[in-house]
This record gives sequence, C-alpha cells and structure tokens, in this order.
Amino acid sequence: MFVTQYIKDVFGAIKSLGIGMRRTLWYFVRPKEIITQQYPDNKDTLVLAERFRGEVVMPHDENNEHACTGCTACELACPNGSIKIVTKFDITPEGKRKKAIDQFVYRLDMCTMCNMCVVACPSDAIIMANDFEHSVYDRTKLTKILNKPGSKVRDGIE
Amino acid sequence: MWSLENITKSVDSWLNLQFSPTIAFLIEAVIIMVLVIGLFAFLGLVLVFMERKVSSFMQIRLGPNRVGPMGIFQTAADTLKLIVKEGFTPNNVDKFLFNLAPFIVMVVAMVVLAPFAFSKGFQIWDVNVGIFFITAVSSLGVIGILTAGWSSNNKYSLLGAMRSGAQIVSYELSAGLTILVIVMLTGSLRISDIINAQADGWWIFKGHIPAIIAFVIYIIAATAETNRAPFDMAEAESELTAGFHTEYSGMKFALFFLAEYANVFIVCAIGATLFLGGWMPLHFGENNWFNSIMDYIPGIVWFFGKTFFLIFVIMWFRWTFPRLRIDQLLNLEWKYLLPISLFNLLLATVIAIAGWHF
Amino acid sequence: MTAHQIIFYCLAALILITGLLSVTCPKVFRSAIFLLFSLIGIAGLYFWMEAEFIAAVQISVYVGGIVVIIIFSIFLTEQAGKETRSIHPVRTVFAVLAALLGMILTYLTVLNYDFVESNEAFDLNIPRIGNAMVATGEGGFSLPFEVVSILLLAAMIGCIVVAMRSSITKPDEKKLTQSITEIDEA
Ligand code: SF4
Ligand code: SF4
Repeated sequence: MFVTQYIKDVFGAIKSLGIGMRRTLWYFVRPKEIITQQYPDNKDTLVLAERFRGEVVMPHDENNEHACTGCTACELACPNGSIKIVTKFDITPEGKRKKAIDQFVYRLDMCTMCNMCVVACPSDAIIMANDFEHSVYDRTKLTKILNKPGSKVRDGIE
Repeated sequence: MWSLENITKSVDSWLNLQFSPTIAFLIEAVIIMVLVIGLFAFLGLVLVFMERKVSSFMQIRLGPNRVGPMGIFQTAADTLKLIVKEGFTPNNVDKFLFNLAPFIVMVVAMVVLAPFAFSKGFQIWDVNVGIFFITAVSSLGVIGILTAGWSSNNKYSLLGAMRSGAQIVSYELSAGLTILVIVMLTGSLRISDIINAQADGWWIFKGHIPAIIAFVIYIIAATAETNRAPFDMAEAESELTAGFHTEYSGMKFALFFLAEYANVFIVCAIGATLFLGGWMPLHFGENNWFNSIMDYIPGIVWFFGKTFFLIFVIMWFRWTFPRLRIDQLLNLEWKYLLPISLFNLLLATVIAIAGWHF
Repeated sequence: MTAHQIIFYCLAALILITGLLSVTCPKVFRSAIFLLFSLIGIAGLYFWMEAEFIAAVQISVYVGGIVVIIIFSIFLTEQAGKETRSIHPVRTVFAVLAALLGMILTYLTVLNYDFVESNEAFDLNIPRIGNAMVATGEGGFSLPFEVVSILLLAAMIGCIVVAMRSSITKPDEKKLTQSITEIDEA
C-alpha cells in the first residue's frame, strides 16, 4: 500500500544514512587508520604498494643479460607510441643472422603507465617499477634507453 | 561566583553613571559591534579549521598539519592570503550590485545574531518575537545570494543562485514548521522564555516523539538552508565551478566564505537553543543534586558546547553523504519533510493541549 | 532633536530615497534591490515604534517573500543587465498624477483623523495576537483570516492548474512514437 511503502521508505532512508554515518564516525575516532604518507619527511621509510606503476624498466641479471628478443610486441601494444625498438642483426656462432635488440627507446614523458606493454611482452622482459620521482629539468632526459650498454639477450629465450 | 550577567550589568551601570543615557547606549552599541565582529572572526578561523580536520579524519587523511602544531594556524594564513589578494571585478558586471551582495549576506548573518542568548543574561536584544525575528531575518540571506549570482554576468553563477533560491525558499518551510513545534510547547517566541522553559529538562527529552522528529527534520532543513553538502547544489563544484560566488575573489569571496560558516553557526545555535536548551545546563526535574552539579559549568560553555556538537553533526553529514540531484532535493522537501513536519505539528498540538509532555 | 527623532528621520529618508530610486532606476534588478531597502526601512520603522511582531512579519512576508519572488520573476523574464525600455512621456505624466492623487488622498485622511498622542506601550504578547487571529467575537480577526486563506487557496489551485496545462495539451505519446516509426520506415 502507498502509506506503508512511504513509511518504509522513510525508515529505510534513515537506516541507510545511519550506516554511512557510522562508517565515517568509525574512521573519525580512529586516527590510527590514517593512510596519508608525509612524503618528503618519510622518504627513507616509504613503502609503496607492489602494484604501483611508476615507470617501465627492463631488469638485467648479473651477467648483464635481459630477456628481450626484440619482437616489438610492446611497441605495437603501446597506445601512446612511447616505445621504439631499434633492432640489429647479430651473427650467431653458427654463422646465422639473428634479429636482436639494439636499443629499447622508452619515452617516459609520453607513457601513461597503462601496463599494456608489460602484458604484451611474450618473454616478460619488461616490468613496471614503482619509482615515482621522475622530475628533471630537461625533458630530453625522459627519453631513456632501457637495455644497458653491452647487454645481450639471455640464452634460451626465443 | 562571577557570571557574564554580572559583568554586563556592571558595565552598563558604570557607563550610565559616567555618561548620559544616549552616549552610554552608543558606547554599548560599539562594544557589541566589536564583540560580534570578533565572534565572527573567531568563528571563521575555528570553523574552517574544524571542517578541514573533521573532513580529513573522516576520509582517513591528516588534513592541514604544517602551519603551527597540528596546523592550527592554517586558517590564519589563509585569511592573510585572502586579504592581500586582488579583488577582481569582471567585465560587464553590475558593479554596484556585485559589490553589494557579499555585504548583504554578511550583514544578515550579523543581524540574526541579535536575539541569541549566549549565557544567562548575556544577550544583545531579548525581543519578544525572538525566534520569529531570527527566521524572518535569516530568510534575507538568499537575496544576497541571488544578487551575487545575477550581477556576476556568468551563467554558472546565475544557475547556482537560482538553485540556491529554490532550495532555501523550500527548506525554510519545514525549518519553520519544526521551530513552531517548540514554540507551541513553550507558548512564547521570546528566546529567554524558550530557554527558561527548559530548566527542568531540554525539549528534546521533554517533548519526546514530536520534538525528536522535529529535531531530525530541523537538522536536515538547516543543512539545506546553509547550502552545504549533501545539499550544495548551489555551488556544486563539478557542474557549476563554484555557483554564485564563481566570479568573486579576494576579500569579497572571503566574506561569502565567512558568511557560510557564520550561517552554519547560526542554524546550529538555533537548534541548540530550541531543542537542547541553549545555555541551560543539563537538568532533569527540579532541584536535585544532579542539577546543582551541572550548574557549576558556566552557561556559555554549555551553549558553545551544544552548538559545536551540532556543527560537528552537520559536518559529519557533509563528509558522509553524496550530493543530491535537484529533483531529489525538491522531492525530499515537498514529498517527505513537509508532510512529515505538518503531521508532526499536529501531533505536537495534541500533546501540548493534552499536556502529555513532561 | 532627540536621538529618537533623528532615527525616525533617518529611516524616513531611507524609505523615501530608496522608494524613489526603485521607481526611477532603469535597471530592473536594481529597482528590486532598492525596493528591498525601502521595505527594510519600513520594517525598521516598526521596530522603532516597538511593534516587533509586525516588523518581523514585514520582513518575513514582504522582504523575504515578495522581494525574493520578484527577483525570481526578473531572473525568468529580463535579460541580465539590459536597461528597460524608456516609457512614453504621457504615461509618465499620468503615473506622476496618480501618485500625487494617492498622496493627497492619504494626506487628507491623515488631516481628518485626529491622532491622539499616547505614551502607552503596545501590549503585544504573542498569545494575544494568536487568540485575536482566531477569535470570532469583538475585535477578532477570524473572518478576514478565513477570507484571506480562501484567497490563498484559490491562488494555489490556480498555480497548479497553470502548471498542469502543459501536460494536458502535450501531444499523445502513442501517436508521437507511431509517427516516428513511420518516418523511420520511410
Ligand atoms: S605502460 Fe602503456 S604507455 Fe607506457 S610504454 Fe607501456 S604500453 Fe606504452
Ligand atoms: S620487451 Fe618484450 S615485447 Fe618488447 S621487444 Fe622485448 S621481448 Fe618483445
């Protein structure tokens, strides 16, 4: 009936508002729950979440080897064109020509940290690091070569 | 024991001894003006700080914490910034009205303060229509808002002003009806009578069901009348930039900002006076040990304590609920609050006539 | 001159000047604001006479109600900042004549009625006003009160009828969708 529905509405509204207010009060009286990081002060102890995406990096192991085969899947996947793979041809000991990566050019200034390239990479050669202090005085510094000089692809990765 | 009543009385008699009554009156008027302006400055600083702290704690943040310990000087620094900022007047505005609007809003907020009783005998003007005077004068604030919106020569301002006008005019109805409940239980419009009637218990306890319903509706209507979230349609940032004060800057903006908080204080003070006994300490029944213990706390502490409690509740609303759409807002008033408060008024009449309140 | 008189003359000057400005100002919104000040001045006059209740009624009905409605209607009709069209001189003459006539009428009435000076304060306690409002006997205002409420009721019903007119004349939805589908098919 109309009247019962009306009364039900009123009490339902009061109840749901009460639930919301209880939640905010719960946080209000618990200052320990505050999640604000006082950033420049706690620079040394700052812990970022694992999933935070700060920039694209290419991990190298102790032999200065990475896992990138130069397949350009990441370049194709990037919606902003922030990756450019420059390839070269290596001569394998057997005398075969083999495509390899010369320069992995990554433009941090155009990257939106969308993670597409990381997902696209078939050999998990790139990951997202959580470093976020990227400010520089010259924006050409934001164009980075991700593979270290003299590095080569790890054996056994095609 | 010292009390504010004795201080005001002795100042009054001393002035009347020294000067002719007219001069004494004028001097008293100046003292009152200084006190009111001081109160407003104090409110501006404290309430803005309180709002920022309350909001941040409710949102698991820290809030201002750099200027002074816990950031207590943050609002002072903000005020300084606003004072030295350029007061910019856009092209093609009606300059006279553009400059007048913030003052209308501010002056209205100051005039409304006249009949408030801050403590026993500490009242500017104990007029016999006290609460009616307050509701009548506070309805003028909307004219300042409409003027500001219209004279800014900006469609966002105009839209904000229209919304705010529609909102204030409609919520004034249910606010007025809830005030009537208490007026009926007391049988007087005079603020001191209303407070003295609560010497043996506040109306929210004595008036039980109708008083509690009225209190809830009053708080909702008061939030809407001060244009605060969840009823901040008038300045909905995401759609109207800042509503009626979009074009204001510097000190004129500061006046609007201050008036908003002054109005919050005023509606909460009305709520505290009507439902929670104003400066009257927490009493139950007459002349028992509990009452005499409560009497040791001075009235002004009670008054500000209750008012700030209600201000906290209104801030709590603001930082909990999302903004209403304009049709929801008008639905809430015309389909829910108004019929309920009309029935409540009827209920209160029956209770007042039958003497079923305590 | 006592302070009392000074206050009276200040208020009277405020009322008259703002009243004059409100009829002469070419910008309609400014006129409304001047009218507002004029009405506030009248409320001030009531306060000066210590008739607080009527003063508060003046503020809440005329200033808080009527002026707000006037401002709203200006919002809905006038273009912002435009000056109103200048009025035909003949009409100005007649307007001035009408105003003068009204003034003379008021003046004659005031002359014919000898006002007795009284130092008695008004007895204005609220229960008395409330009782007089619903009393039917001597000095009661029950009849005018009811007549006014009927007038207001009629006005309210009128408002609803005006607001509902549009939905009555609205084109039939079914027909509308039909014609739309026809257009689509074509
Ligand atoms: S994270 Fe997204 S935008 Fe950045 S390089 Fe990878 S694909 Fe391009
Ligand atoms: S990073 Fe991965 S996807 Fe990109 S070129 Fe190297 S192997 Fe291919």
